[in-house]
Amino acid sequence: MELTANYFLGLSAALFIIGLMGVLIRRNVLIIFLCVELMTAAVGITFVTFSRETNTLDGQAFALFSIAVAAAEAAVGLALILAMSRRTRSVDIDDFRSLKD
Amino acid sequence: MPWETLIFFLVGALAILSALGMVAMNNPVHSAIFLVICFVQIAGIFVMLGAEYLAVIQIIVYTGAVMVLLLFVLMLVDMDDLPEFHTAEPLTRVIGTLLGVMLLIEVAIAIGTRTISGAPGTDTPEAVALVGGNTQAIGRVLYTKYLLPFEIISMVLTVGVLGAIVLALPERLGLEAGRRRDTISLGHPRGTDTVLPIESGAETANLSGRSNAQPAGVGRTLIMATDPDDQPVKVGGRRS
Repeated sequence: MELTANYFLGLSAALFIIGLMGVLIRRNVLIIFLCVELMTAAVGITFVTFSRETNTLDGQAFALFSIAVAAAEAAVGLALILAMSRRTRSVDIDDFRSLKD
Repeated sequence: MPWETLIFFLVGALAILSALGMVAMNNPVHSAIFLVICFVQIAGIFVMLGAEYLAVIQIIVYTGAVMVLLLFVLMLVDMDDLPEFHTAEPLTRVIGTLLGVMLLIEVAIAIGTRTISGAPGTDTPEAVALVGGNTQAIGRVLYTKYLLPFEIISMVLTVGVLGAIVLALPERLGLEAGRRRDTISLGHPRGTDTVLPIESGAETANLSGRSNAQPAGVGRTLIMATDPDDQPVKVGGRRS
């Protein structure tokens, strides 16, 4: 059985969709944050797969950029979670509705 | 079955199982540990795809930096309602699962029927090996073709860290840095700059719970209240 790029793309899609379902289903803000991180990492697999398939290095450069953006997003997101949990004493996403009400 | 395929299925199955465990775990710390396992598997996938540099960066940045940051935040966040399982309503859960499965089928069809167009690039594995390896080749691409995005990414990281510091400051400290709430005034009977309604002797001293001054005219007490929540501190005694 030949290991083609489709296997890697399928794995990436599966990981992305697991992360997506976690964002949709869970209510704990920290777990939602982890799921977003997983989705970012899964997209990186797609970048690197196409980079190998087309014999270019652009995909790997973009995967590197996406890792850097994910690091910045982690810093800002965790600071937001910290500030919100300090205000509402909870990590439930349904408690963070002061912008809506 | 060649070894490469076998290792791919092993690594992929472990990645998917640990991702499912991350979604299903109740405690965020357990979820974080499952995510670390998943990220290590993704780094293994990167190695199989010939991106050794990205694999190392994945381990260092994701499993090293981001997860440690997350564990520190977990210690700072006080979760009173941790033990219960945090999921949405059953309807939302069903709809979410259904949407996920539909999207997976859609993407699988797209992957199965895709074709690739355009000429392949010049960075074949032989050319990369000629330069000196994956790390050298990525460095050349980053500092020539993607120099401007590289600089912009550094700006994004700087702004992100600054924003994180501003957001994570305690609100009281932020207010105090912005403007002083209470200042000491020697000229005002209550010792603060706030203009309070001055009545005659019936005035209660603990107006708004902040001041324990004597009624105006009897004597002046110096009050230092640096924080709205603190009890006021008497600095000096009565001034005659």
